[in-house]
Amino acid sequence: MILTPKELNDQKSEFTVIDIRPGEQRNEFPVDGLETVVVTEKDINTISGKKVLICQFGIVTERVILNNNLEDAYSLLGGVQAWMEFQSDQSDLSRWSRQTVLPEIGIEGQKKLMNATVAIVGMGGLGCPAAQSLMSAGVGKLKLIDGDIVELSNLHRQPLFGVDDINRLKVEVAKDRLEQLNKNAVIESTVEYFNKENGMNIIEGADVTIDATDNIQTRQLIDRFSKEANVPMVYGGLFRYEGQVAVLNVNGSPGYSDLFPDPPSGGETCEDAGVLGMLPGIIGNIQALETIKLIVGIEQNLIGKLLIYDGLNHQSEIIQL
Amino acid sequence: MININVKCFSQVKYALGKDELNLELEVGATTLDLEKIIREKANGKLDSVSLRIALNQKYIPHETELKDRDEVAFIPPVQGG
Repeated sequence: MILTPKELNDQKSEFTVIDIRPGEQRNEFPVDGLETVVVTEKDINTISGKKVLICQFGIVTERVILNNNLEDAYSLLGGVQAWMEFQSDQSDLSRWSRQTVLPEIGIEGQKKLMNATVAIVGMGGLGCPAAQSLMSAGVGKLKLIDGDIVELSNLHRQPLFGVDDINRLKVEVAKDRLEQLNKNAVIESTVEYFNKENGMNIIEGADVTIDATDNIQTRQLIDRFSKEANVPMVYGGLFRYEGQVAVLNVNGSPGYSDLFPDPPSGGETCEDAGVLGMLPGIIGNIQALETIKLIVGIEQNLIGKLLIYDGLNHQSEIIQL
Repeated sequence: MININVKCFSQVKYALGKDELNLELEVGATTLDLEKIIREKANGKLDSVSLRIALNQKYIPHETELKDRDEVAFIPPVQGG
């Protein structure tokens, strides 16, 4: 069983709080605002009544409870790391404890995500999985733009939509679904196609723009506004079993116009060429991953590189731009 | 003669029916010579397709002379979503 920092704070008096961390870790990261007892794993059962086990990240305690078949025992979600954050500004980050435990993310990275704005152009096969993953990861604000409605043929690759949504506006359905994933996030939806008139308004002020469109002309326009506003663009494209991702326009790094100088021709849309739903799912998620790296500042990334992923033989190629 | 390994992506792969080709070219052959050969092999299927070229995993914007054992990738634009 799991308890969040807020739940523990509200019901502190009902629990014995057991710190199972090694002494070294207890000294380095002391716990404020909780009275704790220190007990070794084998002696936990000697403490009667309701108890909360705490460790640094809330992972060891879950295993200890399962392995020892402990009754009336809860694991503090996110551990001491999440508890101390809750103590300092009452923000409960424990739901993201599985990613804040990563040293590259941590509490600081999570806060960057929660303060970030991501614009997603297109709410189709790439936009749906990208938006879903970013919202689950705790990104604070999404700006969605798409003028299209949900059609039956979209459903196999656009997981935010169901049969009851057919003929509804994509961005409105997406907003409803995404809000369920994180009630604190802000979702701004624009029921228009991305164009010369509205483009700057969508991209300006965002930390990252995800290109999740289905055509090259719109992509070139995103590239232009992305350069003008100095907002990085995470490009994604598909052809049958193959996908491409590149992180473009990061402080003057190569853009889409360097990748494919205009006017490129010959690409086919998913409608023309055919696609299995998993491919945009994979590529949209790689775009979301690169977006997270940009926001948090993780250095291994696709800035100035083109990734080509082949879903048939699972080979990938990275080309330096 | 020089040996060149050609990697084919998206429409190029479907036009040629192969992921990879090994070709023998005359010494002094360039990336554009190779592109002509690839387009001829595609029997018109790539006539309206723009192709970008990467030489040894790096984009090259200009015609470049090839060396023995170079790897050349032909990358068409793709749409998406």
